[in-house]
Amino acid sequence: MGRIWAVAVNTIRQILRLKIATAFIVILFVLLPVMGFGMTGDGTLKGRLQSFVSYGLSLTSLLLCLLTIIASIYTLTSDIKNKQIYTVITKPIKRSQLIAGKLVGVVLLSSVILVFFSCLIYSIAVYMPKFLNSSEQEIVKAKDEFYTARASVKPRQQDVTKEVEREYEKLAKSGMLEEVFKNDSKQQIIAQLRRQKKLEKRSASVGSQILWEFYNVKPTVGSEDIFIKFKYDVSVTPADNQIFGGWMIGDNRKPVKEIDTEVYNLRQKNSIGTAHEIKIPADAVAEDGYLAVAFFNLPLNNTVVMFSPKDGMEILYKADSFFANFIRVALLIEVRIIFLAVTGLLASTFLSMPVAILVCIVVFFTGSISQFIIESFGYLGESVIGFYQYILKPLIQFMPQFDKMEPASFIVPAKILSWFELAKVASVMVCIKSLVLLSIALLVFGSREIARIIV
Amino acid sequence: MKYAVETISLTKVFSDWWGRRKVNAVDNLNLKIRTNEVFGLLGPNGSGKTTAIKMMLGLLYPTKGHSIVLGGDSTDPKINEHIGFLPEESYLYQYLNARETLDFYAKLFKLPSKIRKDRIEALLDMVGLKAVANRPVGMFSKGMARRIGLAQALINDPDLLILDEPTTGLDPIGTRQIKDLIIQLAKRGKTIILCSHLLADVEDVCDRISILYGGKIQAMGKVEELLKHTDKKQITTSNSISDEALAKIRNIIEAEGADCDIVSPMDKLESFFIRTVADAQKQSKFTSGAVSTTNIGNFLTSGDTSKGILDKLVSESVGEETIGKKIETRKAEPIEIVEPDKDLLSALTQTSEPVKPTAVIKTDTVEPTEVPGAVDDDILDELVGKKRPVETEIPKKTDVSEDQADG
Repeated sequence: MGRIWAVAVNTIRQILRLKIATAFIVILFVLLPVMGFGMTGDGTLKGRLQSFVSYGLSLTSLLLCLLTIIASIYTLTSDIKNKQIYTVITKPIKRSQLIAGKLVGVVLLSSVILVFFSCLIYSIAVYMPKFLNSSEQEIVKAKDEFYTARASVKPRQQDVTKEVEREYEKLAKSGMLEEVFKNDSKQQIIAQLRRQKKLEKRSASVGSQILWEFYNVKPTVGSEDIFIKFKYDVSVTPADNQIFGGWMIGDNRKPVKEIDTEVYNLRQKNSIGTAHEIKIPADAVAEDGYLAVAFFNLPLNNTVVMFSPKDGMEILYKADSFFANFIRVALLIEVRIIFLAVTGLLASTFLSMPVAILVCIVVFFTGSISQFIIESFGYLGESVIGFYQYILKPLIQFMPQFDKMEPASFIVPAKILSWFELAKVASVMVCIKSLVLLSIALLVFGSREIARIIV
Repeated sequence: MKYAVETISLTKVFSDWWGRRKVNAVDNLNLKIRTNEVFGLLGPNGSGKTTAIKMMLGLLYPTKGHSIVLGGDSTDPKINEHIGFLPEESYLYQYLNARETLDFYAKLFKLPSKIRKDRIEALLDMVGLKAVANRPVGMFSKGMARRIGLAQALINDPDLLILDEPTTGLDPIGTRQIKDLIIQLAKRGKTIILCSHLLADVEDVCDRISILYGGKIQAMGKVEELLKHTDKKQITTSNSISDEALAKIRNIIEAEGADCDIVSPMDKLESFFIRTVADAQKQSKFTSGAVSTTNIGNFLTSGDTSKGILDKLVSESVGEETIGKKIETRKAEPIEIVEPDKDLLSALTQTSEPVKPTAVIKTDTVEPTEVPGAVDDDILDELVGKKRPVETEIPKKTDVSEDQADG
């Protein structure tokens, strides 16, 4: 460990001499406070906080990831290019220890910078209401919807298979299939009917209602409120861009008189296309964690209301503190840093610095749009099944999927990142992917010639 | 362990991008470097010296053959604990200062803190960089960087020291110090491989040499054996003698049928330079460079100070098991002051007044190539009029000339 530590300390010194490291640190040090007090968001305290934390965390994460890539590549390629490695590798140190030392140095330095700037972002976020002299109402809203970590429960997807089959048979019997779907195959017709049924389930025509049922809603003891978060769209946009809806929230399994919990009836107007939250007391939730939410499309709307399939409806309730959630989000960035440090070191074992940086940046940005890439290659793969199935798909799956777990996507909507989720990401990214990459790096570096032949 | 380094058919072929054989950088190299030997690896640029060394150190992999270093493979960290390596340039971390540099390398040897600090200070003193120990290595001159490079190679008190062009960029004093250091280390039982194309350096310190060309050994053997002119003799007097005496000597030699050149020996520029700088130092003139320019010579050649520092370096072992059997320390050659024989000189010069006696230093370590063979007995008998038996009067090894004595 002594040798690894000696190399790690030297690596940190080496990176600190990099002008780019200083530049990144200065940029963050200047920009974060400026962003903290310069960003207005939607004008509310919550909006300001969300804008600042979103951009602050994203910028910190981006710059730290880039710094990690550059530093991890520079530290080894520079040693090889400037031949300092001759005097190091001829000492009693294994090549694996040298790589480990470099890795520890890069990760340690990036982690220290991450801790520093996370503290800065956290401090600005926490003290912002005081600096801005925000109203009590705004502070309460920020506490409910930002300074917290809320668990999310989404409604169960209703199974529409039987309904689709019935509809198909009905159409077939009536002879409407060919008329409606023309030359489509049965599979294509079923898929279309399925999409149609699903849309029906999340749509409310004029005067009708939609009912969602939630299970396992377990607010932490002492939680006073829960939040119904929704977002809807319409078939015909009203003049004021708003929908007047009726809401009934509570346990609907028994008549109201027979249940112990409260049932809440609300009527409110909300704009279309943006997310809204309804705050109700937590006593609406049944002891077994059941909660039903019904939406009535009031006749005066005169349009069909459709809830978004992804974030149209969910229940949020406080599950942890803002501080704890912030720490976990910082650790999520740390997971990225470790993965990228290993990737950088692997690239630098056999590539020159510019090429290695290019490769790693491609990996990083690919990881940032991984869902798009997976979908794109999924369509492409249909034409080259063998190549896609056995080569491209495993390779894509092995690439990082940073966009699946964006740090800001947890902090901005005050959504909890559980330890379990974090451990899952860490085990895949660090314990599996990084270890595989590190093993390859050790294999390559262990077998390569350090010196060049000069004749 | 008889050999510190042994290479068996060591070959390195340089291939191009397509894998086609391009150059045989080293071709079937068979070297056997004995323990406690100063071995010189000579050759012009591109002859394969450095490539051979890099293969010995595991920095390059041989295409064919293999090398055994200290009884094992040099890529084994345990073997590396006993090797010191100074590459052809001091490849050091520019941002570390001299002390931090040595500390970093010492930590790679896991030296305990106290020993590490002691050795660092001793080495800084030895290479004359104590005064600039806190200056980043990137601000060092080439010679100063070379000195700190040498210090890092010695931090572990190595049994095998591999020096690739150690005197490149050094001033004459530094060059001399390194040569003296090599001699001192050899006396303390170290094996040293000296790779250089500076022939004078190698000639001064090496026991054996090997000359490479095209990756192959062209000549190998003891320096004296390779350089000795068996058909020539040299007589050096300790004082000026008259022209008449010279004419007589010439006549005697020519009567033997031999040619005779009589010249006054010149001082070596190296010696003159060292004397000049030493004078300047005595006057405490300011310099921003390496300061203790004669320290290596002082504390490695004689005196308690040198003994103390070297003992510190050598005796404070880390406690890890040594590789191979213990190497015996070679005893230093005694420096003997010989009074020249007045009668002999009188006989040679045939002057009325006896020549003022001058001390002649008898040594054969610093300048092994200038070891003259014994003067032809018959001629000497004739010169001294058979007054004294020559065997007992003429020092058998060498009477070095003034320039040697000065050095």
